[in-house]
Amino acid sequence: MAEPRRFYLWVLPALWCLVHSATPASAAPLDRAAFAADLCGDGAAQVRGAEGLVQAGGDLPADDLAFAGRLLGALAERRLSCRAEGAVLLDRPSASEGRDAVSGAPRPVAEARAPVLGLRQRAALETARGTVALLTGADPAARGAGLSVVERRIATVPAAVLDRARDAETDPALKGTIAGLAQAAALSSPDPARRRAAIAAVAASPSGTAQARLAALKSDPAYTADPAFRAALDAGLAQVSRAVAIGDGLAVVYNGLSFASILFMAAAGLAIIFGLMGVINLAQGEFIMLGAYATYGVQEAFRRLAPGLLDLYLFAAIPVAFGAVALAGIVVEALILRHLYRRPLMSLLATWAVSLFLVNLVRVTVGTQNLQFVMPAYVSGGVPLYADFVMTWNRLFAIGFAAATLVLTLLILRRTPLGLDIRAVTQNRDMAACLGLPTRRVDRLAFGLGSGLAGLAGVALCPIYSVNPGMGSGLIVDSFMVVVLGGVGSLVGTLVAALGVGGANVLIEPISGAVAAKVIVLVGIILFLQRRPEGLFAVRRRR
Amino acid sequence: MTHLTRRGVLGTAALLAAPAIIRPAFAADTVKLGCLFSSSGTMANLEGRLNHVVRMAADAINGRGGVNGRQIEVLTSDPASDWPLYAQVGRQMLQQEKVAALFGCWTSVSRKSVLPVVEQNDGLLFYPLHFEGDENSKAVVYVNSPPASSVLPAVDYLMGPDGVGAKRFFMIGSDYVWPRTINKQLKGYWTSKGIPETAWREEYVPFGFSNFQTLVNQVRSFASQPGGQAIVVLTVVGSSIPDFLREFANQGISATDVPILGLDMVEADLEGLDTAKLVGHLNCWAYLQAAKGERNQTFLADWAAYVKAKNVPFSADTVIDPMVSAYDSVHLWALAAAKAGSFAVPEVRKAFAGLSFDDPSGYTLTMTGENNYVSRGVFIGSVNEKRGFDVLWQSPNAPKPVPFSPYG
Repeated sequence: MAEPRRFYLWVLPALWCLVHSATPASAAPLDRAAFAADLCGDGAAQVRGAEGLVQAGGDLPADDLAFAGRLLGALAERRLSCRAEGAVLLDRPSASEGRDAVSGAPRPVAEARAPVLGLRQRAALETARGTVALLTGADPAARGAGLSVVERRIATVPAAVLDRARDAETDPALKGTIAGLAQAAALSSPDPARRRAAIAAVAASPSGTAQARLAALKSDPAYTADPAFRAALDAGLAQVSRAVAIGDGLAVVYNGLSFASILFMAAAGLAIIFGLMGVINLAQGEFIMLGAYATYGVQEAFRRLAPGLLDLYLFAAIPVAFGAVALAGIVVEALILRHLYRRPLMSLLATWAVSLFLVNLVRVTVGTQNLQFVMPAYVSGGVPLYADFVMTWNRLFAIGFAAATLVLTLLILRRTPLGLDIRAVTQNRDMAACLGLPTRRVDRLAFGLGSGLAGLAGVALCPIYSVNPGMGSGLIVDSFMVVVLGGVGSLVGTLVAALGVGGANVLIEPISGAVAAKVIVLVGIILFLQRRPEGLFAVRRRR
Repeated sequence: MTHLTRRGVLGTAALLAAPAIIRPAFAADTVKLGCLFSSSGTMANLEGRLNHVVRMAADAINGRGGVNGRQIEVLTSDPASDWPLYAQVGRQMLQQEKVAALFGCWTSVSRKSVLPVVEQNDGLLFYPLHFEGDENSKAVVYVNSPPASSVLPAVDYLMGPDGVGAKRFFMIGSDYVWPRTINKQLKGYWTSKGIPETAWREEYVPFGFSNFQTLVNQVRSFASQPGGQAIVVLTVVGSSIPDFLREFANQGISATDVPILGLDMVEADLEGLDTAKLVGHLNCWAYLQAAKGERNQTFLADWAAYVKAKNVPFSADTVIDPMVSAYDSVHLWALAAAKAGSFAVPEVRKAFAGLSFDDPSGYTLTMTGENNYVSRGVFIGSVNEKRGFDVLWQSPNAPKPVPFSPYG
């Protein structure tokens, strides 16, 4: 790597001079009025303006770039009012007065005409804004953000922009990244050594796009003519393919884990209730929905009372959702279910009625629309980790949440008196009763615990799925599948089954489609239960 | 025409000549209209609104004295997003309640299940959704657009220089008739444009599917392959739409990388989403809330006032195309019934030819005698930061509808 770097130290300035001497016109300052007129023109003019700025970006004075950045930002945010007398910058969309884009003089605006950007214009505008941010950003973070935009559309950005950014960069890490990108941009350079270096640079940051870019070079005449080029390209391609394969593998593991964590959260409470009391709680999905609505309530409370801490509402919602839904569960148990323990079919119907009641209650009181959640930074977006593998924060939140829930539930079941009682009653209800355990009270508390776990699932689902009154119905089938497969009443079995079902879904989906994946998994479970009717982990009990 | 007008004149004259005592009795005599929109189940959030907008339109017509001297009475129902139930409720409304017309259905599968019922009972169903076409029944008025006048212009836009010059297509749909037929027609269309079969992929998900991680991964790897700009043609319905959009944005794909053309995506689907990362994705409908013009402003104000006055459990400031289409449906029916001077379905049907109505979109709807399709304008919308759509493009006029696609 050292060799090509040194080589660049002299070849790039030479090239820079070449660019300058070849296009002397671009060294002139920006024609501000023409630029503003372009941005206010039709789609083609907007693209011309934005692309022209990117092309000239390597040479423009800093204040011209800042001026262009202001205008581009205003256009993107619809604060640019286009009038016959020229463009006007507004402080906010549809403000009644602003400043003339070129002269800066205050100007009243009777009726704002903010152009709507088409996709092509939007892409050109993004590139131009990225270029300006890369060249004039106040801090490394802003310049880095600009760089990531430029990187996505590297083919449309001239080398001069990257060179200027690299030369001006003070942050060593960012400087290195820009240098690497500048190197990678030279894939079609006439200089063979530069090309080889570019291949290595492209291969150094592997992705599907990089793979496609390199694979396209295979049809290049140099591939057959130049053995050194061929060797470099083959090595680079092999490196990228390997990395992409690893990245895809990581994505499969991550997707499987995240789906499994959702299944586990939805099924954990069900497993306890079903295992202990034999009650098939068809309202479990609606308890999850209640948990999500409780989270919404906490968010609204934060918005009213402590807007500064709004981002933390998800954590504050954990105890609230658990408590609220556990209470709802206990009420349902006390009012309805305790009368029906001897009639399991009736209890099934009763919980179904409860689920219908809850859905309609929420529909009437809150409405059917999807709830509006604030997504704090820790549950929105994602970070590209390796090759094409993006780790999305909301799924990571769910995985962590499920793991914590698992640990806590196991602790409760294994280490607390309540857990001991629950385990005793699960194993042999009559014997436990003979030994003086208040089995009815244990039932009630366990039902509360199981419902509370559903409430927690509701919190975990808020950042992932839409929250509406119908959200529970989609989860109930999957969670029953997991509980039955895992072995009724076994938390560890539920975990293993969730991992198995989640993983199987994620593996089959790309091969045979999402519809078939569901069917295949269901058939697989049925076949498995034919061989082992008690599921993966049958709870040992005396009969 | 003259005959009908004469009858109208005679009717009015008779009404005026009649002793005043008869008038209230006459006015109390109502004509019934039936609604088949679910207010529970997967479609509740979307379909539920349409019940109210039909009522609102009927109230407005009643305020002007009703149709043919009779007040309109709107019957609503709840088929609970359960497709066979639509047929059952529809039959009840036609046979027992003797409704003059039905307004209903969202998904094509619900329309297909009601279709035999309205045909057997010689009823009339106004269907307010844009849909896959390839159907032409005397019993159904297709108030929204078939694909030739909604989907194809949008796809053309995306393939053209104003769009992104799309060359490759990832189709994701819910697994039922509408997405499958639309995709079949699109494939035929692309084939006719010389686009090879390798340039598209087709995936279907079950109703109510929400775990889109793997599919979005696939979109990303599809888009990174060579062969030109890729787009997503999204035909999933219901709550799958926001779930897909959220995953798409979270994985860092923006509209300028891979734009989504959401064919069933309406303003109400964006409720609850952070649309800052979704800006630029597209939809296409015969109406967008952002449509310019006074008629739209009036409609929006009317809806807001209606929501407030009647305590309707839906957002006062979200209006979606099927609402406007349902509203248009009632007016079209009233115009036809007034023109026919009768509520009998055959008479009303005969009156459709030549009807026109100025709807909130700003276009004038027209009907011909050829079929029960309606000419309407087309909008392409672009998602903005405020959970709405900006009008990116709109058709210069209302294209003539083509019920049967030559491409599928």
